[in-house]
Amino acid sequence: MTPRLFELMLKAAGTTVVISVASIGIGLLIGILVCAARLSPRPWLRWPAGLFVSFFRGVPLLVQLLLIYNLLPAIGLTVPSVVAALIGLSLCTAAYQAENLRGGFTSVPRGLLEAADMVGLSPWQQFRRIRAPIALRLTVPALVNEAILILKASSLISVVGVIELTRTAQNLAASTYEPLLFYAVAGGLYLAINWLVAAGGSLAERALRRGRLA
Amino acid sequence: MSFDVSVILGALPAILSGLQITLGIWLASTAMGAVLGFVVAALRHFGPQPLALALRLAVEVLRGTPFLVQIFLLYFGGPFIGLSLDPVPAGLLGLSLYAAAYFSEIVRAGFAAVPRGHVEAAQCVGLSQAQIVRRILVPEMTMLVLPQAVNMAVILLKETAVLSIIAVPEATATISAIGSQQYAFVEALFLLAVIYWGLVEACGRAGQALECRLSKFRFA
Amino acid sequence: MTLPSSAIAIRGLCKSYGKAEVLHDIDLEIARGATTCLIGPSGSGKSTLLRCIAFLEEATRGTILINGQPLGFEEQPDGKRVRVPAHQIRRVRSGIGMVFQQFNLWPHMTALGNVTEALVTVNGLSRAEAEARGMAQLRRVGLEARARHYPSELSGGQQQRVAIARALALEPKILLFDEPTASLDPELTGEVLNVMRDLGADGMTMVVVTHEIGFAATVGRRIVFLDHGRVLLNGTPGELFAAPRHPRLTQFLETYLDRGAAMLLKPA
Repeated sequence: MTPRLFELMLKAAGTTVVISVASIGIGLLIGILVCAARLSPRPWLRWPAGLFVSFFRGVPLLVQLLLIYNLLPAIGLTVPSVVAALIGLSLCTAAYQAENLRGGFTSVPRGLLEAADMVGLSPWQQFRRIRAPIALRLTVPALVNEAILILKASSLISVVGVIELTRTAQNLAASTYEPLLFYAVAGGLYLAINWLVAAGGSLAERALRRGRLA
Repeated sequence: MSFDVSVILGALPAILSGLQITLGIWLASTAMGAVLGFVVAALRHFGPQPLALALRLAVEVLRGTPFLVQIFLLYFGGPFIGLSLDPVPAGLLGLSLYAAAYFSEIVRAGFAAVPRGHVEAAQCVGLSQAQIVRRILVPEMTMLVLPQAVNMAVILLKETAVLSIIAVPEATATISAIGSQQYAFVEALFLLAVIYWGLVEACGRAGQALECRLSKFRFA
Repeated sequence: MTLPSSAIAIRGLCKSYGKAEVLHDIDLEIARGATTCLIGPSGSGKSTLLRCIAFLEEATRGTILINGQPLGFEEQPDGKRVRVPAHQIRRVRSGIGMVFQQFNLWPHMTALGNVTEALVTVNGLSRAEAEARGMAQLRRVGLEARARHYPSELSGGQQQRVAIARALALEPKILLFDEPTASLDPELTGEVLNVMRDLGADGMTMVVVTHEIGFAATVGRRIVFLDHGRVLLNGTPGELFAAPRHPRLTQFLETYLDRGAAMLLKPA
């Protein structure tokens, strides 16, 4: 492989990272809203949120991406494929992140909130000062895990024509007749990125260790 | 836009054959993945050091790279090292290896979670090493890993859709092909989504029921 | 305003979960400035009673007056029982501190952070002022040196002492303890009991649910023995533990020989 082609691959890896990070971020925001709705006492909020989570976790991402990519033009919205891909990835990860957050919130021991009650914290103060910080700490490992899953899952957006790492490898493999080489390099790049994410995750967990639940 | 699923349903036999292939590949690769994963976990625990290291590396690579890249490497790269496979066998092999990597980690965590004291108790009443594995470790581990194993099976079911990209004639490939022939692509994809959704929900429910039935064997 | 003679007055308190009634018609006066110990077999309702006093559980019937003020429910002249407004609940409850069996320290805050949280968030003190008061409370429980440690870095006994300091920081009139040493290793219970003993000597009003019969007999001014959700006995340690004893109490004490009950059962 010439340095020039390797540079192309690296650039494509950058695209993969940018799209993944953006989806994780947007997905987190949507996930927080969905989680709030899931934990709401109002059934008309809980129900649709549950349906959202069930659907996006129950349908293969590839089918979701194809659906969004084809549905948007069908209802008169023409968007670049990268936008469709971003919407698909974000909605999918939002469903998983909403469940992770819900797990975090429901694992906050009740006693910690009773203690807050006894010293006079209002429900909102309890949420802001006790529940949310503890729940977010509990969610960090799941968030890192989700980031790795999305990085890998982002390979599927090559199918709707986004020129990211997998698609670039595919193009170069076809034009050079060297599929072994280019898919192996692509795999190596995914591995390297994931190792970095995992390392960052364990750093973050170590930083939070002092404040962990006993 | 018009929305009419009936044009798709006109091709029911083709849909059913696609579904059949999806379910067949799913069940076969889950079973093979589970067995292979168990063997890998056992070899990593009991096997010689170099083999354990090599297996660990293989598991890390399979878990750290996208399934799509793995399947491309196998299907398009395979012929260059004398491994020319048709789409279905390639998909089956690829998905089984992918599954094995994840199952081996699940099994490994399961073995590690069996309390040391249970093994010591078995040694004290005179069970041999093999008996301990067969009578104590494996049953306890099975209880412990059941939720993750069911979860993994669901992930594999969804992963079968990726095989449509290398032209395995499974549900996604068949139904979207019908959709484009009939100029009803969106309808076809909706139908497809609903089918997967139903299968995944059913699988999840079945897993919960199984867990419930086996819950009396759980230790606190 | 003169305070009523009892710190806590409980009238006709009943609590049931579905069909199961855990507390039957409890009438109890808790004296000011003294330590009252609630003892009894597991399932006798002593923790539930304490949690009702803290309004962590809502009683099904009856009323509780804290320093003469209704907590949670109020009886109107016509005998109807109505809920008091939330702000009043919070005000009355601010006179009560609670120490839990599981400590319930907030894991993401240091010892000092736990103690100062309500001072800053609820009482609106400046951080400096809150920390000065927090340090004073930590000194009182002997943990000044651990102020910057997180709960996960403290022993169980230290965590429980921080929890006591957290309750003390708001200067409550009444301290409630729910089995404060039940989840501690035996060698760590002493340090917690000593802090409680000192608080009792300082004249704090304390209600302690405990299995430490020795502690109850020596520090408790009054002992309340609950059995099957009723107050079976209520008196000074001298009255209760001296022969002739109630047969249920003797039966109970015999199961707690290792918790300091042995000395009470010795023939005089």
